Amino acid sequence: MGGGDGGGGDKMAVCIAVIAKENYPLYIRSVPTENELKFHYTVHTSLDVVDEKISAMGKALVDQRELYLGLLYPTEDYKVYGYVTNSKVKFVMVVDSSNTALRDNEIRSMFRKLHNSYTDIMCNPFYNPGDRIHSRAFDNTVNSMMMQVC
Amino acid sequence: MSRPPGRKQENRKISRELFVLTYGALVAQLCKDYEKDEDVNICLDRMGYSIGIRLIDDFLARSAVKKCRSYSETADMIAQVAFKMYLGVTASVSCSSAAGNEFSLILDKNPLVDFVEELPAERASLCYCNLLCGVIRGALEMVHLAAEVTFLQDRLKGDAVTEIGITFLRKAEDRKHKRNK
Repeated sequence: MGGGDGGGGDKMAVCIAVIAKENYPLYIRSVPTENELKFHYTVHTSLDVVDEKISAMGKALVDQRELYLGLLYPTEDYKVYGYVTNSKVKFVMVVDSSNTALRDNEIRSMFRKLHNSYTDIMCNPFYNPGDRIHSRAFDNTVNSMMMQVC
Repeated sequence: MSRPPGRKQENRKISRELFVLTYGALVAQLCKDYEKDEDVNICLDRMGYSIGIRLIDDFLARSAVKKCRSYSETADMIAQVAFKMYLGVTASVSCSSAAGNEFSLILDKNPLVDFVEELPAERASLCYCNLLCGVIRGALEMVHLAAEVTFLQDRLKGDAVTEIGITFLRKAEDRKHKRNK
C-alpha cells in the first residue's frame, strides 16, 4: 500500500465496526492496536445511542427513515458516527476529533461504500447471515478507509 | 412446442443476479447435504447433464447453425455461440492435442462466480461450476458426440483463468459407416 500521502490522511477512520441485528459484532477493526479494547468499548456504548435514534425515528413515518444516523456522540478524542441498514445491521465508525476536515458528505459516502461491500458479502452463497465476516474484499474496503499507521 | 413468431426476445429475460444467486444457493445447499466434495461435483455434473440434453434443442432452434464438420468447429460453436447465448460471455478455444480431439475453452469472466470470492477452506476441491461441464456433456451426447468435460483450471482455486477441457471420445465417422451399411 502506498505510504503516507498527506492529503489522503483526512478521509480516514480510526475504527470501523459492523454489528448484527442482535447487537453482537460481525466485524470490528481498529487502527492503533494497543487501544483496541477501548474502541470495542466505545462501539458497544454507542449501540445504546443507535437504538435510541432508531426508535425515535421509527415511530414516525417509516418511509422517511434515513439509513445514515449521523454523529452519535462526541467524546474529547473521538467522534462516533452510525448507519443502520434496513435489515437492522449497524455500521459504526469512530473518527479522530482532530480530523475537522471530514465533512458529513464524506462520512455518508464512506458508509455507502461499506454498505455496498456488505451487500456483496451477503450475496456470497457460502456466507451465512450472522457469521463473522472473513472477506478479503471487505477487508480491502475497510483498509482503504482506515488511517495508515506509519 | 413451436414458438409463436411474433413474440419478442425481451420477455424471456430474468435478472442476472437472481440466476447467479439461485445457482449459489444450489451449490451451498448441496454442500450442506453432502460431506465430500466429490459427491457434490458428481451431483452438479448429473444436474448439468439433464439440463444439457434438453438445452441442445433450444440451442439448435434458436441459433440455426449448420452442421459442424469437425471437432474444432464444434468447440468453436460452443465457445462463441452457445456461451454467448446463455451466459453472455464468450470463451476462447485452443486445441491441446495432436489428434485434434482435445480442446480447452478459456473463460475470462465467469458470471456464475460473481459473488463468490473464494471457496471455503473445507471445500478446497469443489468444482463450483461443474454444472457447466454436465451441460456441455449432455448437449454433445444428444448430437451423438460422446465427450468428457472437466475443469482444468479454476479461478476460484487460485488459477489465473477458468479453463474447461473437452475431450471427444468417439470419431464422428463411425456414424457415417453405420449409415452406409
